[in-house]
Amino acid sequence: MAIAGFGEIAEHLRRLTVLIRPGRRGSGSGVIWSGDGTIVTNAHVAHDSNAHVQLWDGREFVGTVTARDPRRDLVSLRINASDLPAATPADSAQLRPGELAIAIGNPMGFLGALTTGVIHAIGPVRGLGSQIWVQASVRLAPGNSGGPLADAGGRVIGINTMVAGRLALAIPSNVVRHFLAV
Amino acid sequence: MSAELIEFSNALAQATERAAASAVAVHTEARGSTSGVIWRPGVIVTAEHALRRDEEIHVTLPDGRIAPATLAGRDPSTDLAVLRCAEVGVAPVEHGDAAETKVGSIALVVGRTRASGAVAALGVVSLVVPERRTWAGSVLVPYIRLDIGLQPTAVGGAVVDSLGRIVGVASPRFARFGAIAIPSAAVERVAETLLKKGRIPRGYLGVALQPVRLPDHLRQSLQHNEKTAAIILEVEADGPAHKAGIVIGDILISLAGQPVSRPENVQSHLQAENIGKALSAKIVRGGAVRDVTISVGDRPNGGG
Repeated sequence: MAIAGFGEIAEHLRRLTVLIRPGRRGSGSGVIWSGDGTIVTNAHVAHDSNAHVQLWDGREFVGTVTARDPRRDLVSLRINASDLPAATPADSAQLRPGELAIAIGNPMGFLGALTTGVIHAIGPVRGLGSQIWVQASVRLAPGNSGGPLADAGGRVIGINTMVAGRLALAIPSNVVRHFLAV
Repeated sequence: MSAELIEFSNALAQATERAAASAVAVHTEARGSTSGVIWRPGVIVTAEHALRRDEEIHVTLPDGRIAPATLAGRDPSTDLAVLRCAEVGVAPVEHGDAAETKVGSIALVVGRTRASGAVAALGVVSLVVPERRTWAGSVLVPYIRLDIGLQPTAVGGAVVDSLGRIVGVASPRFARFGAIAIPSAAVERVAETLLKKGRIPRGYLGVALQPVRLPDHLRQSLQHNEKTAAIILEVEADGPAHKAGIVIGDILISLAGQPVSRPENVQSHLQAENIGKALSAKIVRGGAVRDVTISVGDRPNGGG
């Protein structure tokens, strides 16, 4: 197949994906949202008031939780760093089913693992209330939580949060923007 | 970033959007739905096994309206059910010939849910066989398997080829892994029959069969090569076999000139075209072969 580019996108995304260790046990992923040290992850990943954050280049920081929304399962952390490679968020209201979707994360101890698929649907999920999810046919595992879901241009369209059957459910990037703006 | 990948992604989203104009959500209960395809004006096809009820069926149309639909008929042998819905107009998407489908080519399944609108799944065609008989008695020509794990809501959705044409209806039936595309020609044929007759006519003999081993001495005396045949365990009163004089314990060794080594061999003689035809049969009774003539009956609903 002549289509190149998954590797390039994966490399781009790995640089803005962090490994989060909230305590002695367990780990998850996070997304560098701004170059001056704002990290976004799931509330169920960073469940304490601070968490250990490791960048792709190996640097390690202690991140302090600056905002938390348990209902939407989002947390923002700050680390004391600057000039970081940050996510370019897409407008998740413009997403269409069938588009390519690319997830990067740290599932089960693997760092920067790539999975690909397509957007299955954008909307509520039966049994999970009226919240809108980006539903993608990408395979996630524990440790992907908090990591980025991106489009074919490498723009972040959501935060991978849970698995429902064969689907990955991600919090839409517009919801993350709103969460950070409040 | 790679322009090709963005183009490919856009092409997939556009193909999904086009096919979604033919995809409806089918619901029979307060919650949940499966998918269906607008096949021709006023007609929707869906997966038979996923249609839970025969009445109070509703569909969510591509424009978001909810409309009532009535069941024209079911065909479990191809896993198709056909619905009539006055609210649907012309089938917007071109149909392709499933016979042109190639292994390794890209396939999209496009369906619809009540809450989220259009849904898509992407995969490749993992197997194409010119024809395959399913355990439910139908012959799929061709048999097309997709390496797509269908969400329950996408069952009955449209299978779209790389040219954006609808080549079939998606179902997890008749595939141990992934899903199959019930080919467009079969959908056309089944829809035609169900709309006219409400059911798919099948021939029947009015017997229950079980495989049986033929003893060597019997095979030698009969000069019959097959090691097994089918023994008659039940004969339906006044059924075709009963009228032909067949009794319990007879062993069926050939039908219409073709050897019967397993009960399944009988199935291929029971297609609708053979209803009313007289088939010659060889049976063994008391160690001797007899020739009988059975007239294939029109199977009453659900009969075997």
